[in-house]
Amino acid sequence: MTHNPPNHSAVPSAVTGLLTAGCLLASAAVATAGPGLLPAPRQIEPVALIGATLHTVSGGVIENGILLMEDGKITAIGTEVDFPDDTWQIDVSGKHVFPGLIDAHSQLGLHEIGAVSMTVDVEEFGRINPNVRAEVAFHPESRHIGTARSSGVLVAVSAPDGGLISGLSAAMQLEGWTWEEMILRRATGLIINWPSANNETTYERALRDLRDAFADARAYRAARQASDEDDSLRHEFDSRWEAMIPVLAGDVPVMVAADDVRQIQDAIVWAEEEDVRLILLGGRDALQVGEQLAARDIPVVLSSVLNSPARAWEPYDAVYSMPAKLREAGILFAIAGTSAAANVNRLSHEAGAAVAYGLPVEEALRAVTLNPARIFGIDDRVGSLEVGKDATLLITDGHPLEYATTVHHAFIAGREIDLNDAQRRFYHKYSEKVRQRAVR
Amino acid sequence: MGLGWHATAASERTEPVEGLRQNTPSVHAFTGATVVISPGETLENATLVIRNGLIESVGAGISVPTDARVWDLEGKTIYAGFIDAHATVGQQNPRTESERGAVSWNPQLRSHLDAAGEYNADGDGAGALRSQGFTAALSVPTLGIWRGRAAAVSLNEGPVRERLLRGEVAQSLSLRRSRELGTGYPTSGMGAIAFIRQTFLDADWHDRARAAHAENPAGTPRPETNAALAALAPAARGEQPILLEALSDDEILRGLRLAGEFSFDLWILGSGHEYRIADVLAEAGRPLILPVNFPSTPGAATPEEALGLSLEELRHWHLAPENPARLAAAGIPFALTTHGLGRPGNFLANLRKAVQRGLDPETALEALTTRPAALLGLEATHGTLEAGKAANFIVAEGDLFASGGKVVDVWVDGVRHRVGDLDEIDARGEWRVVSANRGVEGTLTIGGRPDRLTGTLVIGEERIRTERPRYRSDGRRLRVAFPGEKLGMEGTVRLSAIVSRETLLGWAELPDGERAEWTGERVPRSEEDKPDETPQEEEPDDERDSGDPPAEPERPQLADIRPAMEYGRAAPPDSPEHVLVRNATIWTMGEDGVLEEADLLVSRGKVVQIGRGIAAPSGAVEIDAEGRHVTPGLIDAHLHAGVFGGVNEVGHAVVPEVRIGDVLHLNNIWMYRQIAGGLTTAHVMHGSANPIGGQNQTIKLRWGQLPEKLKFEDAPRTVKFALGENVKRRTSRYPNTRMGTEQIIADHFRAARDYQSRRAEWETNPNGVPPRRDLRLEAIADMLEDDILIQCHSYRQDEILMLMRLSEDHGFHIKAFHHGVEAYKVAPELADYGAGAVVWTDWSSFKIEAYDATTRNARLLHEAGVLTSLHSDNNQIATRMNWEAAKMVRAGMEEEDALALVTLNTAKLLGIDHRVGSLEPGKDADFVIWNGHPLSTFTRADQTWIDGRKYFDIDEDREARRQVERERAALLQLVLKNN
Repeated sequence: MTHNPPNHSAVPSAVTGLLTAGCLLASAAVATAGPGLLPAPRQIEPVALIGATLHTVSGGVIENGILLMEDGKITAIGTEVDFPDDTWQIDVSGKHVFPGLIDAHSQLGLHEIGAVSMTVDVEEFGRINPNVRAEVAFHPESRHIGTARSSGVLVAVSAPDGGLISGLSAAMQLEGWTWEEMILRRATGLIINWPSANNETTYERALRDLRDAFADARAYRAARQASDEDDSLRHEFDSRWEAMIPVLAGDVPVMVAADDVRQIQDAIVWAEEEDVRLILLGGRDALQVGEQLAARDIPVVLSSVLNSPARAWEPYDAVYSMPAKLREAGILFAIAGTSAAANVNRLSHEAGAAVAYGLPVEEALRAVTLNPARIFGIDDRVGSLEVGKDATLLITDGHPLEYATTVHHAFIAGREIDLNDAQRRFYHKYSEKVRQRAVR
Repeated sequence: MGLGWHATAASERTEPVEGLRQNTPSVHAFTGATVVISPGETLENATLVIRNGLIESVGAGISVPTDARVWDLEGKTIYAGFIDAHATVGQQNPRTESERGAVSWNPQLRSHLDAAGEYNADGDGAGALRSQGFTAALSVPTLGIWRGRAAAVSLNEGPVRERLLRGEVAQSLSLRRSRELGTGYPTSGMGAIAFIRQTFLDADWHDRARAAHAENPAGTPRPETNAALAALAPAARGEQPILLEALSDDEILRGLRLAGEFSFDLWILGSGHEYRIADVLAEAGRPLILPVNFPSTPGAATPEEALGLSLEELRHWHLAPENPARLAAAGIPFALTTHGLGRPGNFLANLRKAVQRGLDPETALEALTTRPAALLGLEATHGTLEAGKAANFIVAEGDLFASGGKVVDVWVDGVRHRVGDLDEIDARGEWRVVSANRGVEGTLTIGGRPDRLTGTLVIGEERIRTERPRYRSDGRRLRVAFPGEKLGMEGTVRLSAIVSRETLLGWAELPDGERAEWTGERVPRSEEDKPDETPQEEEPDDERDSGDPPAEPERPQLADIRPAMEYGRAAPPDSPEHVLVRNATIWTMGEDGVLEEADLLVSRGKVVQIGRGIAAPSGAVEIDAEGRHVTPGLIDAHLHAGVFGGVNEVGHAVVPEVRIGDVLHLNNIWMYRQIAGGLTTAHVMHGSANPIGGQNQTIKLRWGQLPEKLKFEDAPRTVKFALGENVKRRTSRYPNTRMGTEQIIADHFRAARDYQSRRAEWETNPNGVPPRRDLRLEAIADMLEDDILIQCHSYRQDEILMLMRLSEDHGFHIKAFHHGVEAYKVAPELADYGAGAVVWTDWSSFKIEAYDATTRNARLLHEAGVLTSLHSDNNQIATRMNWEAAKMVRAGMEEEDALALVTLNTAKLLGIDHRVGSLEPGKDADFVIWNGHPLSTFTRADQTWIDGRKYFDIDEDREARRQVERERAALLQLVLKNN
């Protein structure tokens, strides 16, 4: 992409950026010239957003509020806020401020073009891969990052897939020069593809493999511990079982992809027997096991809400109305954007559909902000507008789950990010073609 | 080979006798039997006399000829031999090698084959049919689309030349190709129908072309000589029936349409789903042959497994055994067949099940005798027990149509075939046994089922359970072993005996090697402890236990619904004379724009008026829509739902002769989900495997109507083109590049022009060999005339531009480019050319040609003046096209422009905007009532109306889902009782 629209006046205001006039950033306009999006530098001076409706998620809605960001963090929030003299005061009256949306499960950064396998880094060879880590293959130049951000998604939990134990997911904030800068939290979950229970024989075999893997990992941990304590005992390194020690210790949850009643029940019992922390992913039949999930505080990540039921007899809105029912059942859940990297920009639609079918809108918002933050242990950083958390937020003209709403500006850890993603640039470039033709 | 048929058949034959002649008399008299002369006419204590393979006389007081062998059949019943109207007897191992001779280019066209000529008497399966009472059958070829001619044969032993009753009874047809004959064209369901259509035309042309050439051989180029087409000519002219093997109710509907189109004499072999279209069949009045292959009980071992069972499957499982009874009740005559049974030996068991489920035994007998005899043209010789007819009959014990009835003998052309031995001896019972030296006396009791006997030996105080006794009635030898310990012997004692009616004559082998003779005498038994009679038939397909069926559990009352599945309707929705929707925000999508607090008046399915304060005509259905929004019914420009047998005909690269409209599928749950989301019209498309693909079908989503009624009545025909990756994916087929794609399209348009001019010449000067009608080129010629609108799958800007320029060179026009992921890159060119664009909102990056996607595609196209629509290309997305439009608001479009992308613009691109796409007087009353702003995330459809009928209502849906749950629960209970 080398084309540079020659006429900046044709470019909407979002592209030029809120802060371009100041000394903080001149990035956005420059970004249109580069091959991808230009990451912004660290926040240096305090910024105050003044006059917007602040949707904190955790602490209600503050009309005509002020939000102060310093050094990448939210340092004050309210209707009357004191801020330092050098603060950039930005009038955002009439606008709304929301925490950045979080996609609780995706392949963002790992998956670029479906039918071009060399651009896909999702499934490692073999069935037991607890040691592979999503963050190290997270491609900062992926086009899908830009479209995700301009749709309001500022954090994505990116996960490997395939096999039985797929690997470790990571929560990534969608701004930075390298994957390292983008890490919000490593090892947010060990992904397990619960085997299909349709075939009794293969099911038994796969479950045995899964139990064996955990037993082997335990044995390994014990052997390593013993050799640490006793120099005469040597035990050599095993990448797979080494990677599972934090899982066994309860520091890293297992995220089990399972849809059918039987799979879910079996996974619940298995997690208890293994004494590991369980997050359920997919969970098509989760309602059938709702009481158990609620009683055990097992959170659910719904892969997709914008979907139709798998069985012909189920009501047409069975999936749309599931979040409302999960809420009634007292289950903590997050909504994901279908898991596909190119679909992260549909996250707000996925959550919005649940509202049309009975979920209160503030709950739907939680399902893409604070709930996933809690589930993945990143609620100290993101998920709501609270003092002490990262200034990772959206400035919009309406509710971010509503189709008509546009994200005008977005900040990740206090850095105003460039929303001029590749799809917008294509639009601007070829709008210019239309314009030139009309002039001719 | 056996000589049995020589023994009694008396007709002349060509085969010389080697060795000695066998002249066993062929005169038999059967006395004392109940004789069912014909359905409804039964004689008690009658005599049947046969001579030389024919019935000589039958009646109650007939004197027995002195030369006859007499069979006392007191207590037995004689029925006319059954006739199987659709069997594969003799057609086992059909030839599949590429054909020799002047036959069709397509291996699926085998109309020249003749069942009599292909008949393989070696292991033909006649015995299995006879065991069920069949004495004659229609032998039907089994492979191909056009399979060849069926022949009626006698189910005797021996060479088929002596058994052929009638050749060339019917041409056999299937709507599915046989993979055994290759995987070339046609690969799809619609391809098969297109091929059938072309074959009818070719048969007609072949006739005329050969005649024209014969008339003037010197002056005309020689047309091809094609044995398959020649053989098909009588059937194509309607002089020979065409027997369609329909594998579903859908296929019957397709067959009926073809029969209407080509005026042939259609016979139908059903699949067991016919009860679902009894109304259609009653009206069609076509000969019908029904199978009794009822589905096996669905697996529901656990509640989890039961979750996977659809109501459709459960209903059919439950209702299939009622199929014959329901059709009979609808006044539809039919013949029955063993067709479709894994084992023909299960026929009687399943027949009885049908009788148990309401089929009148007399109707059943008709369906097995007089009906098939008349159908196959055998009524003069078969079907009843009348003098002069073939000596084909069944000797039965009990009522053949009820549990316990049993075929004893089957006589075919005067030759006896034992089925269940008349004198079969049962080893079961109590025997008083005694050793020859009188040293040991006791009682041996044999019980259990014939194939799982049990034995107990009581000697003095000792009671010994034996190992499993073995006995077969044909060899009549009973074998029993037991441990000798209780009798003071270490090891196994083995007994063996020949069984006669009242005695056993046996000997024993003792553990020490000694042998001893013994005998037994049957202890007379009272009636009530008679062992269970087990029918001689094999177990029915769906029963684990073939004994008397258990007491039938209460059957749920299932209403007839269409489609016969979840959410099917008992009747089409009402069509009120007038409907008035009040106080809504109405998005007219016409010149009136969006009207607040407005009313919509509909009369007889059409929009009459939109405005404020419209007076309700008397009797109008009034709907208060205050606070709600009304939009035109949504239209999806690109969908592949409800298509049977594949959406791609990949056999050839250019296939515009195939038609989606030929293969619309009745039971399509997605249609219900789509009307629940406000969709009322869809353009159901061929796939993208072909540069020039098949013809699409525009439908209205009239859930509950038959496929033919779904078709949008006067929508223009459209065709699918495809460019880019998909058409070059098959490396074995031209094209392999985008360059070749251009060339093959160009080549076909040139050919179509030539075709047009050849036909035009013939019109003015009809001499010589007539030009052949070619439906492929004809369709392309119709594109040149703009009678078929071209809808082209495309991604990259280069290919879009290529096709625009190509079409300009060749004088055709592209109506719209679909997908058009890069259409925005050539928006000005599209605008100048006048093609529309039908695009996604946010599909991207699933392959390299989709990488430059932008959610602003439709916006930019619209801004550049291109008539633009959205599409789903996906069943699920088609359930929420309003949300697709809403995405374009986020991408920067005005709301009305965005909604036009799924209403008016779409209608224009499909050529149906004279009827749908906006709410304006005179247009169809297709509209949706939404509970809020139609482009809001938080809105859902409350009601969906098509043609002024309410096809979806969210409150009715609540009731429907409860009904679905109730029916499933009731049927699952029935499943459990059956397991």
